[in-house]
Amino acid sequence: MVEAVPSPIRAAAGLYLAAILLFVLGPLIVVCGVSFTAGDYVTFPPQGLSLRWYEAILSSSSYTGAALISLKLAVAVMVGATIIGASAAIVLHRGRLPATSAISALFLAPLVLPTIIFALGLLTFWSATIGQTSLWALWVGHTVVAVPYVIRTTLAVLSTSDKYLEEAARTMGAGPWRAIRHVVVPQAMPGIAAGAFFAFNISFDEAILSLFLRSPEITTLPIQIYTQLEFSPDPSIAAVSTLMIALTILLIFVIDRVLGIQTVAG
Amino acid sequence: MTAVHLDNVSKSFGGVQVIKGISLSIQKGEFVSLLGPSGCGKTTLLRMIAGLEEANGGSIHIGGKDSTRLPPERRDIAMVFQSYALLPHLNVLENVMFPLRMRRLGNRAEQRERAEAALKLVQLSHLAQRRPRQLSGGQQQRVAVARAVVSSPQVLLLDEPLSNLDAKLRETMQEELIQLHRQTGLTTVFVTHDQEEALSLSDRVILLNAGRIEQEGTPAELYAAPRTRFAASFMGSTNLLEVALEPTAGGTIARLPGGQSLRLDGAAGQGNATVMFRQEDARLTPAPTAEVAATVVTRVFLGSRTRYVLDFGGHMIRCLPPADQLFAVGERVALDIPPDRIRVLSE
Amino acid sequence: MNSLRNDLIISVPGLLLLGFGFLIPVTGILVLGLRDAEGGWTAVHLLRFLTDPFYLGIAWRTVKLSLVITAICIVTGVPLAYIMARGSPRLRLWLIICITLPLMTSVVVRTFGWMVILGRGGVIPDLMNKIGLVNRNYTLMHTETAIVAGMVQVLFPFMVLSILGVVLRIDQRLEEAARVMGCSFLEALRLVILPLAIPGIIAGSLLVFTLSASYFITPSLLGGARLPVLAGSIYESATRTMEWHFAAAQSIILLLGVLVLLIPYARLSRRSHG
Repeated sequence: MVEAVPSPIRAAAGLYLAAILLFVLGPLIVVCGVSFTAGDYVTFPPQGLSLRWYEAILSSSSYTGAALISLKLAVAVMVGATIIGASAAIVLHRGRLPATSAISALFLAPLVLPTIIFALGLLTFWSATIGQTSLWALWVGHTVVAVPYVIRTTLAVLSTSDKYLEEAARTMGAGPWRAIRHVVVPQAMPGIAAGAFFAFNISFDEAILSLFLRSPEITTLPIQIYTQLEFSPDPSIAAVSTLMIALTILLIFVIDRVLGIQTVAG
Repeated sequence: MTAVHLDNVSKSFGGVQVIKGISLSIQKGEFVSLLGPSGCGKTTLLRMIAGLEEANGGSIHIGGKDSTRLPPERRDIAMVFQSYALLPHLNVLENVMFPLRMRRLGNRAEQRERAEAALKLVQLSHLAQRRPRQLSGGQQQRVAVARAVVSSPQVLLLDEPLSNLDAKLRETMQEELIQLHRQTGLTTVFVTHDQEEALSLSDRVILLNAGRIEQEGTPAELYAAPRTRFAASFMGSTNLLEVALEPTAGGTIARLPGGQSLRLDGAAGQGNATVMFRQEDARLTPAPTAEVAATVVTRVFLGSRTRYVLDFGGHMIRCLPPADQLFAVGERVALDIPPDRIRVLSE
Repeated sequence: MNSLRNDLIISVPGLLLLGFGFLIPVTGILVLGLRDAEGGWTAVHLLRFLTDPFYLGIAWRTVKLSLVITAICIVTGVPLAYIMARGSPRLRLWLIICITLPLMTSVVVRTFGWMVILGRGGVIPDLMNKIGLVNRNYTLMHTETAIVAGMVQVLFPFMVLSILGVVLRIDQRLEEAARVMGCSFLEALRLVILPLAIPGIIAGSLLVFTLSASYFITPSLLGGARLPVLAGSIYESATRTMEWHFAAAQSIILLLGVLVLLIPYARLSRRSHG
């Protein structure tokens, strides 16, 4: 079209985009900036540039301890959520079970239910039945929250795949389990892999469940940051946060490579 | 020897009976087409032979073995799907080897040899390392066929494999399928809604209508001697007329309400009936008598021939006479049909 | 085919986890809200919330803030969604990544960022001080503005993606026809795109409202103890004052509020994706 968009509007749109990006990414940029400060206080722009705060967190046992716990947990959640989520997605995709919509609702409910209610429920239920909360309780909570994401990414891939492939494999001599192994899983793999990385990210960043189920022995990295925030914020928080942001960005790029963000965001 | 035998097989989907007690036998080496309009149950029947749908009643024998309750992987079959269903994460050769792997036929080297031989049969040896998404529709279809014949199954099932191809390619593939059948000798069941395709490929055609067998026989039988109105109008382009039959010396007269009439051979019956004759059996000559007069309403030039739509006593008739005849719109012509080419239909 | 049995076997681990790890705990807490100390049924905890003006004030603040957040998301989201829909796929992809990045970072990280921007001596108060609007000790922390800012940053992508999906499906030839019939660019937006985008706006609004009413860490940290929202009050009751039944009762109220909004949302999104 000739002059589809009038030029003043084009300019305004450009400014608008810049403003949006500034608003949305501002806090994250600021955090990164603060982390490199040479001074003692949390200021932006930073006073001088230095890596001292990164050195500080790497030598702090509370931070490294919390990071290790978060890492262990995230890996365990990634494994659990991927297995459960991928299986659920395969079954839901087939839609053959009698209560498919009910099962689908159950698996996707954690997305919809306010996490605080779930956290409260899990805490009371665990305390009443098993006793003291442990890393296992946190694993259950994180996995439940991560499973819907794995299901979504896996279903996104499965729904675009040829639905006759499984049948074709059966006519070629593959039994139902071998058909899943040789055909369905390879087909769904980009979705499963993306879901796995999502699950890792979700668990690593998760704060609400970790807050409710915490104890001195199970303090995850986000909760470590949270307690620092409540007392005396210093640039060490910025350093940890920047590392966490970097991890998230890395995971986003991996997910995009494996699956493509548009599949996930659509 | 009977390769496939269905005995009073039926199938319902959610309360609707889709296959109503069908019995049929397919001999070893036969090429049989399941023909019919959409919804007649032909694909369902094929999938029941494959084990992809479970029969609600009756039995299915494959290679003499009762396979009714067997899952697909335990039946000695192979299937070409309408969308080809090639495994996207394997290359062409691996796709063709897949059934041999799954059915554990021979060691890896033997499987590779057999797969390469199958690819040679469909002239795709040069594409063995490609992925399915790099192939054209016609090439994918060939790979699907190679993958189906590689395990030398008791019966080869094809679900409208040519319907996604353009007309030219479809003709070529039809010829190649005939060749392939001759070379492999595999019992083949072919589902199609295209009667021309069924006629050109098959040893035998089974015409299905609303879950039942309407008629079965050789292509020639089905074309020349359809028994019912449905069969007649499905096979080829037919004209159907409601007439009153009057026996005469030496034959029968089919009289139309308006007075026109056609001659039939022999004692074809008496009273009200439906008769049929094919477009190409009609001959037109100028200067008609009242009994056989028709007016040309439309003329359609088809290249090699011309099709005429005639008004024959109020009935619209389609004719495809020999090429040397040319008539103008509005002209009155005589409709001349050889008496042995007019058939009386039972409903 | 034994497909049904196989499907069941595959789904068993998931069903066990979701059943025991989610369904039972959640049901348990909801039931707890309706029970008294002896174990009988009672509505006293619910009534305490519904009759105490303090708690009703919390509910009102939650609703009010959610409305404001939703409104801001609509006003800022529609133009962005249009730009993304009609822009190049590459631009669209980058914008999606940029606006969802905050969502994928940890809430504590984001909140810390806002503290640096809004707190005493932070980026914005410092700027305002330099211009001469406020004194050196000014802080935007622990205000409703801070809560709104922090929440809009995260919930914004939900609105945008909801509208984006709908606008992408609007046939570009409709806009072309409008221009041919004499509309200017902006008129075409107002008379053609906007009406057709309404299902996406409604769906996005329901989603954003629901999520903003459910959030707890961002409002607590940015709003402080004197500006509690419903989710924050639940946390207080559960961990500070140890009033479990009351916390559970508040959870029931929160859940009911969420369900009331999500049911029309589910119906809407099923229709537009149908």
